[in-house]
Amino acid sequence: MKKILGILILLIVVCGVTAISNQNFVSAYNIQNVTRLTSLFGIISIGVAFVIISGGIDLSIGSVICLIGTMLPYLLAKGVPVPLAFLLVGVLSICIGLAHGLLITKLKLQPFIVTLCGLLIYRGVARGITEDQTQGFGTAHAGLRYLATGKIDLPFIEGFKLPVPFLIMLGLALLAAFLLNKTIFGRYLKAIGNNEAAARYSGINTDRTVIMAYVICSFLAGVGGVLFALDINSVQPEGIGNFYELYAIAAAVLGGCSIRGGEGSILGVVIGAALMRVLRNSITMLGIPSQLEFAIIGAVILVGVITDELVKRYAQKRRANQQSGMYSG
Amino acid sequence: MTCRELIRNCCLFAIIFSISLLLPACNQQKGNGKKTVAFVTNGVDPFWVIAQRGAEKAGEDLDVNVEVRMPPQGVADQKRMVQELLAQNVDGIAISPIDPENQNELLKEIAARSILITQDSDAPESPRQCYIGMDNYTAGRMCGELVKEALPDGGEVMLFVGRLGQANARQRRQGVIDELMDRSHDGSRYDKPGEVIKNDKYSILDTRTDDFDHPQAKANAEDAIANHPNLKCMVGLFAYNPPLCLEAIRDAGKLKEIKVVSFDENEASLQGIMDGTVVGTVVQNPYQYGYESVRVLKALANGDKSVIPENEILHIPARKIRKDNVEEFWIELKSLLDDSAKKDPGQTVNETIKSAMKTDPGATPDPRYPQQQKEPQKDE
Amino acid sequence: MSSPATTHPAPLLEVAQISKQFPGIKALSQVSLSLNHGEVLAVIGENGAGKSTLMKILAGVQPPDSGKLLIEGAEVSISDVEAALEHGIALIHQELNLCENLDIAANIFLGREPASWNVINQQQTYVESEKLLKQVGLNLPPQTLVGDLTVGQQQMVEIAKALSINARILIMDEPTSSLSLHESEALFAVIRELKARGVSVIYISHRLGEVNDLADRVVVLRDGENAGDLDRASISHERMVQLMVGRNVSQFFPHTPHEPGQVVLEVKQLRTPAYPSHFINFSIRQNEIVGISGLVGAGRTELLQVLFGIDSPLSGSISVAGQEVQINSPRDAIRAGLALVPEDRKLQGLVLEMAVRENMSLASLTRDRKSLGRINFNQERNISEEMIAVMNIKTPSDSQIVQFLSGGNQQKVVLGKWLAMNPRVLLLDEPTRGVDIGAKEEIYTLMNQLASQGMAVLFVSSDLEEIRGISDRVLVMHEGQMTGELSRDEFSEEAIMQLATGQTFSHSQT
Repeated sequence: MKKILGILILLIVVCGVTAISNQNFVSAYNIQNVTRLTSLFGIISIGVAFVIISGGIDLSIGSVICLIGTMLPYLLAKGVPVPLAFLLVGVLSICIGLAHGLLITKLKLQPFIVTLCGLLIYRGVARGITEDQTQGFGTAHAGLRYLATGKIDLPFIEGFKLPVPFLIMLGLALLAAFLLNKTIFGRYLKAIGNNEAAARYSGINTDRTVIMAYVICSFLAGVGGVLFALDINSVQPEGIGNFYELYAIAAAVLGGCSIRGGEGSILGVVIGAALMRVLRNSITMLGIPSQLEFAIIGAVILVGVITDELVKRYAQKRRANQQSGMYSG
Repeated sequence: MTCRELIRNCCLFAIIFSISLLLPACNQQKGNGKKTVAFVTNGVDPFWVIAQRGAEKAGEDLDVNVEVRMPPQGVADQKRMVQELLAQNVDGIAISPIDPENQNELLKEIAARSILITQDSDAPESPRQCYIGMDNYTAGRMCGELVKEALPDGGEVMLFVGRLGQANARQRRQGVIDELMDRSHDGSRYDKPGEVIKNDKYSILDTRTDDFDHPQAKANAEDAIANHPNLKCMVGLFAYNPPLCLEAIRDAGKLKEIKVVSFDENEASLQGIMDGTVVGTVVQNPYQYGYESVRVLKALANGDKSVIPENEILHIPARKIRKDNVEEFWIELKSLLDDSAKKDPGQTVNETIKSAMKTDPGATPDPRYPQQQKEPQKDE
Repeated sequence: MSSPATTHPAPLLEVAQISKQFPGIKALSQVSLSLNHGEVLAVIGENGAGKSTLMKILAGVQPPDSGKLLIEGAEVSISDVEAALEHGIALIHQELNLCENLDIAANIFLGREPASWNVINQQQTYVESEKLLKQVGLNLPPQTLVGDLTVGQQQMVEIAKALSINARILIMDEPTSSLSLHESEALFAVIRELKARGVSVIYISHRLGEVNDLADRVVVLRDGENAGDLDRASISHERMVQLMVGRNVSQFFPHTPHEPGQVVLEVKQLRTPAYPSHFINFSIRQNEIVGISGLVGAGRTELLQVLFGIDSPLSGSISVAGQEVQINSPRDAIRAGLALVPEDRKLQGLVLEMAVRENMSLASLTRDRKSLGRINFNQERNISEEMIAVMNIKTPSDSQIVQFLSGGNQQKVVLGKWLAMNPRVLLLDEPTRGVDIGAKEEIYTLMNQLASQGMAVLFVSSDLEEIRGISDRVLVMHEGQMTGELSRDEFSEEAIMQLATGQTFSHSQT
């Protein structure tokens, strides 16, 4: 909870500053858009959080988004029925995670290398299959696209409608939080991330747990790919999802996942993803030239991480003082 | 032991290296007597697929080997591909330089070792023999005219583009701005982005870039709608921008309030013109870029300089497509594509036209057409 | 505490009334000691007595709040490690600070490489390293990678490094904690050699036996204060324990003879991957505590790891309670009723950043089959609270992060994790390493209790006193081979050492 507090405050500050300088930031329409994008990025960030907690890393997320995001419209265009197409891309994304996990645990390859190769392979495959043609759903599948672009009326609140992806992310986040905090799998995952040897010496099937983490990560990247494709309706194999793995990792780390493994919270990750999106939105709203966008995002995140570290040290010092006070008293 | 390994590795390397040198040489020998010319694009895009078909068709008609290269990753990639082509001793290269001013060295290198012409994007400072393409500035002004038609009473306008670092993007943008501001025809002007440009009728609020990240391009359009309640018109300067603007406007329920002016011939943009949600678009003729490039290069390679016009510019003019001529254009486009689409021999021209005419969104989608956009789409 | 009688007019090092306050806690309060030329001074005390803080002050890692440091009668200020080195004070940490990827010479000269124009003069480092290695009795080429050395050899490299800067005062923090008997002996020989050459050594250890052998004088710290000094004549095990704990420890090794029951663990013709040419046979009964002794590298840890499924055996059979079991993973071992308290609790025993409760339940979470993968939090809490009570673990609560506990309490958490599983056979690898004396006693008592309740306890230890003190039976290993078995009346240091060094013992193998 303490780890989340810093980032939450940063998010509130950014929102506050933007809202004060530009009324439009808090318009229902803008909040809907930011919420939708936060949800899309949140989903892939939750996925990578599992891998990071296990002490690994997944660099292939952007390319998985690309592969799944292009395969869905591609399959539909080939006349594959919708449920079968969904099943196929789902199985494909799970297989990708399975392959990562098996290579990392059984062959003991480094996660960095395995997923880096994945990054190259999946985008290459996507570009090869589609021959670099932009994929889309055209005007068809309006019902499907509701998943990404739909909005639901809320009772009592005038004007604001809840984007459907938010509900999807909420469901996935709750499930993820349950997995991480209430199940044996989650406990094992944290134990492995912190000390794999100790976990193995305690009789834990560490390989299976790690593989599971990569499967979850790739599957959620696949879900993200599907939603991104449904959202923008023009999936360019060469460009879509470039660098998204880094956004996802940044969101997860901002949200309190230690890159050394062992810790992390789903709520934090979602807040991290929200911060990333709100920052981009704020930059527009504040009228900052888009050329400076990345510089500002980088700087704000850095300030956030530094503040977080300082707050943590302060808290540690205070705790040490209190404890020693306890003993001497 | 290690010494022996070292020698073995060196031998292996030497063998691989010489094979890699020999392979292209073998290729050269195969096409004995035939000229080989190269067509280098500035990226990977359906737009270039059409150009490729034009180039290949010319290769067939004129009995020339045609090598088409599409660099996926920008300037560095383009340089690598060009140098590979030069290493293969191609007889001529038609290139769309990504960053003409800063690529002068590379262009000089081509001119020194082969024949250089530019297409799609010009590099007047370079030793190119000829430029084939349209004038992006003029095309931008045509786009501005479409905006004027859409907003005869003026209003707030916003521009969307992938990157402003590219010459064609800058020129198109300047064309739109100069036309709306009723300035004289001068392509050398440059208004800095980030400042509002206005006269008594139009005010151009900003130019938003997205680095070819489509979700971000849509987010940019959404942000603009959220931030500027009085926005009247969105201009998408790269092919993928207008459809994403349209998506954002549709989601916001502002189809009546905000007009879209498009560039290039994205299928969704053409559909929008038919539906009345897009005012119009300015299109190029990539098929002709490809065809003409190969024709000019072959002639130059044979020492025939008569193909080059006086001013060294071979204009393939841009066209404005509005509701009145969109169907005609679409059919033309489809037949052009399928004419050279050898992979798809089963489809007759009639079917093509039929599928092109299918505009009812509720109709059963043609398995080949509406979802899989084989339509030209240019974003660079 | 009054300063000890000084034979020299000015001792080499004098620490006068040093105090050090950490936020809220007094780590050292008016501590004094003196160190003479060519003297081995042992500083002992329980964990938290302030030994480490004192040594850090001497080595310049931390400054004192008040008090004086005098070297040969002149007051000095040791503000940082460099200053300490200039005064000839070198600290050899408990956890060795060597780069395993570099060779011996590179480690010895790390940070002080002889070089011209930034190009290291390799030859010079090798020549000088060779001299230094000879001084510490290490017959290895200085080009050897440190990663290929045993822990004992690495320790010698550390000492050589200290000698290379002409250290006059060598501070050694628990130098034998990970050394075999043999290596310890070699270390003691080097220390005596250094002493003869006039180097003074401050020696910190938990192992009172070696302090007894080695020290010229003993300074005992308790709760950050001087608790007493012992000169050579008055050093004895009892006196030291008494001063450390502040009371009499009547029965340090609480051994109660057990009546062995049924055979629980039987190992036949077992070959471990580490020593594929030797076959191991032995068995353990209920109610029995069996110690495995031997030098480091004798294959003791490897044997336990094969029994627990960390490594797979090459051949042979393992039977638990008369049933042959296949053990290929720790899970198989746990299912068969085995549990292992591993050698290195920080690396293998604990998830340091997790709470006491979470560590305690790590092995037993899957026992509740009805939970469908969910954690049964009630059960978890009950188990951890029970274990904290049974084992007298000193922790503010069961949600305390385990890394903030003392070594002894950490070890009890590892034990608790396994006791919650109620194993038939408890395997322990060096169960009291880095554990202070009070917790040691508690662990011995616990092992005794468990044996009385019917568990079979098999433990590996390099501490001969410990082996002799609490085992019912001792197995001795040498280079992967089981060289002998001794019953309680045959336990003598000589007998164990003979078997451990591969000589035959008069008593024939059973």
